[in-house]
Amino acid sequence: MTTTIQQSGNQMIALFSGRLDTAAAIPTAEAVKPLMEAENKEIILDCSQLEYISSSGLRIFLSIRKEAATLGSKVIVRSINADIRQVFVMTGFISLFEIQ
Amino acid sequence: MLVAALFLETTACIQYICSRAAIEREVALRAKTELRSAELEINVLTSEMEAAAKMLSTMAETNLDNPEAMYASTRILLQTLDHVESAGIAFIPNYYPQYGRWFEVCSSRSDSVEGGIFTRQIGGAHHDYLQSEWFGNGLTIDSAWWCEPYLDDAGAKTMVVSCSYPIKDREGNVVAVTCIDLSLNRLSHISQYLQVYKDSYYSIQSSTGMDIVARPDTIPGRRYKLFVEEIDATGWHISIIIPEDILFAELRRLGLLITILMLVGLGLLIFIMVRAGKNLKSLIIVNSQKERIESELEIAQTIQSAMLPKVFPPFLDRLDLNIYGMVKPAKEIGGDLYDFYVRHDKLFFCLGDVSGKGVPAALVMATVRSLFRSVTSHEEDAAVIMQQINDSLGENNEQNMFVTLFLGVLDLKSGQLHYCNAGHNAPILNQTALPVKANLPIGVDMGHVFEAQSAKMQPNDVIFLYTDGLTEAENVRHELFGEQRMMDILTSVFGMRPRLLVSTMQNAVESFVDGAQQSDDLTMLAIRFEKPAIVMRNDIQQIPTLAEWIDGMNIPMELNMPINLALEEAVTNVMLYAYPGRTDGKVFVECVQCNGVKGEQLIFTISDSGVPFDPTQAPEVDTSLSAEERAIGGLGIHLVRQLMDEITYERIDNMNVLTLVKYLANPQND
Repeated sequence: MTTTIQQSGNQMIALFSGRLDTAAAIPTAEAVKPLMEAENKEIILDCSQLEYISSSGLRIFLSIRKEAATLGSKVIVRSINADIRQVFVMTGFISLFEIQ
Repeated sequence: MLVAALFLETTACIQYICSRAAIEREVALRAKTELRSAELEINVLTSEMEAAAKMLSTMAETNLDNPEAMYASTRILLQTLDHVESAGIAFIPNYYPQYGRWFEVCSSRSDSVEGGIFTRQIGGAHHDYLQSEWFGNGLTIDSAWWCEPYLDDAGAKTMVVSCSYPIKDREGNVVAVTCIDLSLNRLSHISQYLQVYKDSYYSIQSSTGMDIVARPDTIPGRRYKLFVEEIDATGWHISIIIPEDILFAELRRLGLLITILMLVGLGLLIFIMVRAGKNLKSLIIVNSQKERIESELEIAQTIQSAMLPKVFPPFLDRLDLNIYGMVKPAKEIGGDLYDFYVRHDKLFFCLGDVSGKGVPAALVMATVRSLFRSVTSHEEDAAVIMQQINDSLGENNEQNMFVTLFLGVLDLKSGQLHYCNAGHNAPILNQTALPVKANLPIGVDMGHVFEAQSAKMQPNDVIFLYTDGLTEAENVRHELFGEQRMMDILTSVFGMRPRLLVSTMQNAVESFVDGAQQSDDLTMLAIRFEKPAIVMRNDIQQIPTLAEWIDGMNIPMELNMPINLALEEAVTNVMLYAYPGRTDGKVFVECVQCNGVKGEQLIFTISDSGVPFDPTQAPEVDTSLSAEERAIGGLGIHLVRQLMDEITYERIDNMNVLTLVKYLANPQND
């Protein structure tokens, strides 16, 4: 599981690659810290290479989402696969995020 | 041995000393006896001489007036007494004036005259008897008197000893002396007594020590035994002289014989003891060699048995496997082998039989076991594994030993069994022989291409592997245990755990052979595929292994993620809440597939020994809330509820047991 953050203009793009399970959640939480401090940015969570997500990963997503709201940023989840979409549906996350 | 020699030698010495003393006593006694006899003889002789002298004296006294009568007297005496050499009557000077100063009538023995007796007057200046000892003493001693031996040049003409006796006239004046000569030759007759031994000597000496009968000179350095007897009448000494070497010659011969015999005996004793010692030594060497070999075999046995897994159950963390194996070599060490281990959730196992028995077979067995371990460390294909073992073994197989080997790779997630059989007895899967291809045993043909096969093991299936030491176990009547008996036992123990299965089989064989000597190694291995299961340490970092485990199970693709996610959430919950703040403890996840009222279903059991924790009691998460309203936690159990069809919690034996059921027939996707 790798997390890469790119910044271009007003956008901050986090590229998640691999399986975001409970074990991977700890380093991922660390890696996404810059997103928590971004003010008035468009934060894009690129899930095109994310294979799997568990509740630990969802918690990170929710944290980013909550933090963004307080800092005037907007969070967009991009390119989720069917499995992850299914999880998003089950957890109601599908309505918490803007999914592209 | 030294003691024996000393004892023998002491015995010999004592015997020699006793014998010598006995001989000395005997000789002394004999010498004494002989000396007495000789003394008696001499006494008789001298008494006779003395009597003769007296008689002649008397005859002379009566005929003093007739000097011519003296001739007849002496002659008669000689004729009467054989022992007398000569007899003479010698008168004092001028007794018969007509005859002048000297007048001695003498008769002596001579072969040259008629009658053998020569009688004449021998006195004269040339034979001045007046100067003779015998004459002088004869005049003065009034009894028979023996003179010292002398050479009678006139009368007897030989060495003589004389007995003299005085002749008196009517007035009692000594006027003449009779002299009876005893030839010393005559005394030699008594040698019959004195010649005690063939080479012994004797001597008769006068009172002054002159030789009457001389003895040969003694040889310096030669030891002699001397026995002496004094004759009272004459004062002579009779001696018997016996050289000791003669005396003890017999004893020495006997002693020599005994010594030789003893030496021979001792030699024989030494020989026997040396031989016995050598035998003992070689026996000791043989024994120590035997002991060494036995101890080496014992060590080899320990090493060999250490090569085979013998701690059961072998994997405490594996709930999916139950294994029991045993090998019973016919000799100290054997050529049978079995081995197994788990790598990447795959059980690699093998069981084989090396041709032959004993050390060579054991060495090949060790090689095969090592090859099994090294090849399976990087290879999972049963056919390739077998091929590589075969090629490696063939490289150095100068003894042309071969091995029948069954090799299996059991995927513990799916129960899929891949196996390759190289000429070994087909294992029994539950109650049916596993179909096996006709591959050659390994070690026969380098480069042989082995064919692998597959089978599916369902939970609770048992595969039983064995060597022909089982089916060909022989009793005293040379009957074989046989496959039928084996199959019967397998049927009787169906459903039992491997340990019980193997021990039941072993007991059956042992009671069958009934004490007959085991002729071949006996090896058995039973593997029960319990159910797919995984044991995880209480560590979040273990979570990815769960995904691998699920990937390995052949579950429908679309169910992979939901099941994976549900299990991860459930396990994470255990790690976070049942084992709070701890890193010890374990989480067990098992999977059973069964056919329930709602059709085929997968039943997962997650158990732990942590503090009681019931995740089903967690409140429902309201997924309709906005992001701002949503709590960060609580999603895990929500997902489990969503993903699985049934979820139940039980606290059993101090363990949290969470059971998750997923229906296969009607998968619930939303």
